[in-house]
Order: sequence, then structure tokens, then C-alpha cells
Amino acid sequence: MKATKIRFDRFLYLFFVSLVYIFLLTPLVIVVIAAFNSGKYLAFPPEGFSLKWFKNFFQSQPFMDALKVSLKLGVLTMICVTILGTTAALYVVRHAKKWKNFLRLTMISPLLLPAILTGIALLVFYYIIGIGTRTFLGLLMGHVLITLPYAFLNVYSSLYNFNRSLEEAARSLGASQLKTFFRITLPLIKPGVISGAMIAFIVSFDQFPISLLLKGVGRTTLPCQLFDYILWDFDPTAAAVSTVSIAITLGVVLLTEKLVGLDSLRW
Amino acid sequence: MKSSAAHRSIFRNPLFLILPSILILICFLLLPYITMVVMSFRTPSTSKPYAPGFTLSNYMKALTDPYYLNVLSNTLLFGFITTIVCLALGYPVAYHLARIKSRYKGLLYVGILSPLLAGVVIRCYGWIVLLADNGLINDLLRKTGMIQSQVHLMYNYLGVGIGLVHVYLPFMILPILGNIQGIDPALEAAARSLGASKIKSFFRIVLPLSLPGIQSGTILVFVLTISAYVIPILLGGFKVMIMPTLVVQQILESFLWPFGAALALIMFAATVLIIFLYIKIMARLMRGVVG
Repeated sequence: MKATKIRFDRFLYLFFVSLVYIFLLTPLVIVVIAAFNSGKYLAFPPEGFSLKWFKNFFQSQPFMDALKVSLKLGVLTMICVTILGTTAALYVVRHAKKWKNFLRLTMISPLLLPAILTGIALLVFYYIIGIGTRTFLGLLMGHVLITLPYAFLNVYSSLYNFNRSLEEAARSLGASQLKTFFRITLPLIKPGVISGAMIAFIVSFDQFPISLLLKGVGRTTLPCQLFDYILWDFDPTAAAVSTVSIAITLGVVLLTEKLVGLDSLRW
Repeated sequence: MKSSAAHRSIFRNPLFLILPSILILICFLLLPYITMVVMSFRTPSTSKPYAPGFTLSNYMKALTDPYYLNVLSNTLLFGFITTIVCLALGYPVAYHLARIKSRYKGLLYVGILSPLLAGVVIRCYGWIVLLADNGLINDLLRKTGMIQSQVHLMYNYLGVGIGLVHVYLPFMILPILGNIQGIDPALEAAARSLGASKIKSFFRIVLPLSLPGIQSGTILVFVLTISAYVIPILLGGFKVMIMPTLVVQQILESFLWPFGAALALIMFAATVLIIFLYIKIMARLMRGVVG
């Protein structure tokens, strides 16, 4: 009697846990199904296979422009924060003494403030100092700010357990400081640098609140364009856009896995 | 020759490594926030974003008008409920994943992380396809004869709540998961062997030791929820008014920058105060439990 009760409790618990997994994954699966479904509304059973929503997407000028802006923004952001984050992490781990904790907190502070608030602050600031609230540079700096903590944290954690004797060996054998960095240090912290860069790209590519407040006319990003679209129309073109966007992100993740393995990832 | 040596010694200074990042944080984070604080004391104007002169009237208006106070308390209450639901759904999943010894463990971990691969707009769209009046759930319910007319699942608090819980659930699961993984299973085994039931050993051993994970997860979800902008608009359809929506409306549509800034800062201050009190309470709960 007692054994059956325990087995039943266990069953309920596992059932509940599986429901939560289904809850987490369903919307994404549904989006992908809707993108390949020929009907305007996803009904049960599905009406048939079609690629017309993808065709709609690739023929839509606003969406293609937005995709280009998002990719350009993501790549530029990634390059900037990888350099900034890596050098900053090097300083905080190796040279900062009593300021270490303060500097670490400063570097991750953009993560601790709500993005929508930071967006408003930047908008007001750009207007006041007169560099314009709708420039590409302004948008780029917003993205750099938001993604810098991720690049920093990833390099930081790979530097933390770093064995410095290899560097000392290179130096004592006559390598310059710069050469030691590129031949010894960088290859060893590569996993952290690459994961940081990849996360920075993904976060920038999916970023919404900052872009909403700082985007310019004709310079809207893919998430913003998608938002404007589904505000008025639910047709599956949005599903095709979402599917392509998920595929790009997934491609970046698989690339990271292939280059350095996902174990080094720090969200 | 001499100048080039001096040049090199300046760049040898390691401070140069972090200087660019610090400058960016000062110019694009610290100064903008200071500007926003100053803006919140500016005189409103009808023709420009703001007029010259300073005033306290923005704060007076925001803190005395029942409408704005109502939106603020709604936002905080909504954030509180979402956080509790996320905890209730997320804790069992985190515990299960922390203790499982299956070769599918990696796959389950990917299952929790994968929603993070799609942006928040995309995840909202997924819920729209499911929850809309002519969406999949309504369609299924009609065809199975469970309902006659449509059930409104979105453009109300329910839809926004579902979206918020879905988007921020991973941020609850991950810290708790990390925490429980650090608790030695031998402690539970010891309690069991001394005669405690499974339930009792959970409540006396695992739950108290996982309080730090619960604290991180709840703070993260609460902060993210009350500053969410996309979900309340797409799944609430302007029928659910919460602070971020109100603030952006004041700034982008009404061009009332000083008032918008004041509202944003009031919300920020309320959040900081709540988290401060919460950490104090949790510290008391954790005293003597977690070293």
C-alpha cells in the first residue's frame, strides 16, 4: 500500500516536471511549425506544407533591411566588446589590487540595471549632448554597453584558473610582452574569448528595448521590425522571420560548440 | 628616440587595458543616468521635450495622482505573483535536474537553455499563435467540443502572466540548479538513514540549503518582470498597463520627458527598496543555515 503511494507521488512529480519542459519548449516548436504551414492560422490538423511565408519574408524590403542592420550591428558589437572585455578582464584579474571587486562590479553594472531604463537614459543623454538620438553610432554604443558584461565575465572566468608559469617561461626565453600575449595567453584563454564574443552577438541580435528607443528611421533592427509587424498582423510571415532568426542564433551556438565546446559558456 | 621611449612606457602601464571600458561606462552609462535624474527635475513643456528651469512637480504628480500610484502597485503586485509562479514551477525542475543521473541530463539542460536562444519578441509571437482567439488552443477546444464560443486567453492579465513566466522561468531555474548541485546528496542520505521521511529530509535539509539559489532566482525574475516592456504590449494589447509601458508612452508618444524620467526613477527606487528589504529578511532566514 505504502509502496504504491510512493510510486504514485513519484509519478506525479515527474509528470509535473515534464509539463514544465513542454511549457518551455512549445512556443518555439509552434513558431517553426507555423512557418512551414500553408494556412494563415495554425489549426489542427495542419493544412499542409508551404514555403510561401519564407518567400514573403525574403521579398519584403523592410524585413531584409532590418536583417542586414541586425547582422551588421551584431558583428560590430561583438568585435568591440571582445576587445574591450578581454583587455578589461586581463586588468581586473592581474593588475587590480584593492579595487578588484569594485571594478568587477562596475564592469557588470549594465547587466544589473533594467535595459529599458538604460535605453531611456541614453535617449535623453544623446538628445542633450546633441549627437542625435537616431544615429547608428548611438545604437551601436547602446548595444556595446549591454553586451560588455557578457564578454568580460567569460574571459574573466577563463583567466581565473590560469597558470602563469607558461607566460613566465616564454618571457624568460626572450619573447616580448606582446608576443607572449598572442602566442601564449590568448590561445589559452581562447574558449572564454570566443564564448564571450558569441554570447555578445546573440544578445545584440535579440536585443529589443535599447533598439526600440535608439533605432533610426530606416535603421530598424529585426526584433523591432518583427514587433511592429505582429502588433497589427499575426500572419505566419512573422513565423518565417522568427524561424530564420532562431536558425541564425542556433548556428552561432553550434559554431561555438565546434570551436571551443559549450562547457566554457557563461550566461 | 627619447619621446618614443616615453611613449612606450605610457602604453606599458596596465591601466591602459581597462581605460577604454571605464571611459565607455562613464560616458554611456553614468552620464546618461545622471542626465536622466536631472531631466526628472526639469519643467515640462508642450512644444519641446523640456523647458528651462527646475521643479519638483513631476514627482508630486507621479506620487499623488491615484492613477499612477495604481499602475505602480499593479506592476509590483504582478511582478510578485509572476515570481512566485516561476519559483513554484522552476524549483521542482531544478531539483530534478540537479539529482538526475541519466545520460539525457545534457539534453534536459539544453531544454532549459533553449528558450533563451529566441528573442523575447519571437517567444511572444509563439504565444500569440497559441493563445489568440483564433489560435491553436481555442481551435483544439472548439473541435473537441469542450467550448462553444471563444475563450479569451490573451489581451488580459492571464496572457501577460503566461508570457512573463515563460520568458523568465530559465532565470529562476539556473541559479537554483547551480545551488542544489552544490549540496552534497550524502546529507539527504544521512537524514533518511536516521529515519526522516523523504518529504521531511527535503524540507529540513535541501530547502534551507538552497535558500541562496532561491534568493538569486527570485530577485532576478522580479527585476526582469517589472521592467518587461515587450510582453505586456504584445500579449496585453494595451489593455494591461504597467510601469514600463507607461514610461515609454510618456517619452516616445507624449514627449513628456521630465515626467517619464520621474516615473522611471520612482519605479527604480521602489525596486531597490523592495530588494533591500527582501535581502534583509532572507539574511535572517538563512542565519545559522548557510555558512
